[in-house]
Amino acid sequence: MRKWTAIRPHSLLVNGVKPEKYESSGAQLLSDIYHARVKDWPKFFKMDGLSKLGFLCSELLLREEGETRPGEGEYREDRAVLLFGRTSSLCADRSYQQTIEDAQNYYPSPAIFVYTLPNIVTGEICIRNHYRGESCFYVLAERDAALMASVISEAFDDDVTDSVLFGWLDCASADEFEGFTALARRGESREAMEKDMEKMFAALRQDTESARSRSCGTLGGAEKMNEDI
Amino acid sequence: MEELIAKLKEEIIDVLNLEDVKPEDIDNDAPLFGEGLGLDSIDALELIVLMEKNYGIKLQDPSKGKEIFKSINVMADYIQKNRTK
Repeated sequence: MRKWTAIRPHSLLVNGVKPEKYESSGAQLLSDIYHARVKDWPKFFKMDGLSKLGFLCSELLLREEGETRPGEGEYREDRAVLLFGRTSSLCADRSYQQTIEDAQNYYPSPAIFVYTLPNIVTGEICIRNHYRGESCFYVLAERDAALMASVISEAFDDDVTDSVLFGWLDCASADEFEGFTALARRGESREAMEKDMEKMFAALRQDTESARSRSCGTLGGAEKMNEDI
Repeated sequence: MEELIAKLKEEIIDVLNLEDVKPEDIDNDAPLFGEGLGLDSIDALELIVLMEKNYGIKLQDPSKGKEIFKSINVMADYIQKNRTK
């Protein structure tokens, strides 16, 4: 099973395990993870929820993979960024709508407007990591391991891409989001990618169940999930 | 003027989401763009919106922002002289 990171409103998972405990949830959890794990990219605070989610998932994944960023003025074209999600940029779209819906208080916010496209998150990841390879954000009706694996596999059809940072990023609101990222490398079979993604989806489902159990006052859900993975 | 400067710093931190910046961190004479707070072109547009929304100043020529946003002191002085609310 490849390395992967996931962030949800109540949890951070690294390879299916909660590396540390956070008391916060939702948007505050994202800020707390940034302060605990990243610290050196103030632009994070200007990002919309989707970009914050993708940025953190990618940062933690790349650290887990032991990767270092290219130096100043250096770039890599062999790394593609292919992301998938359901609600696209709806969260930023709603925020922007609030700045323009009242004719008497009509002040369109440029800082919010720039995030009213889902592929901006791919740009944030590429800027941070000096990637200049292919990048795209696909909007799907639901998580679909077979389709996602197929799209990722096709990225290797060119002569440039050697690896793909891929993931599912969905941010419906400040308190409803789900993101995971992982790396796929040239030579992997589509079936292997699909199988790993199904395992990640299963782990996320278990995380949901364990969160429900905790909210109902039972214990052991998270621990069981870690054992299962 | 000091009251306006203090208010302006709070507004800039809020509208530009400068999470780790406190009002006292902003030097009144330091450049807002480039080396100072490291603001970018989108931030400049957001400051233009802030001036219109909070002080009733409609900047007809956005290129003037370069001079107006030179520092907190310069910005406060411009607002003091041109505000309509």
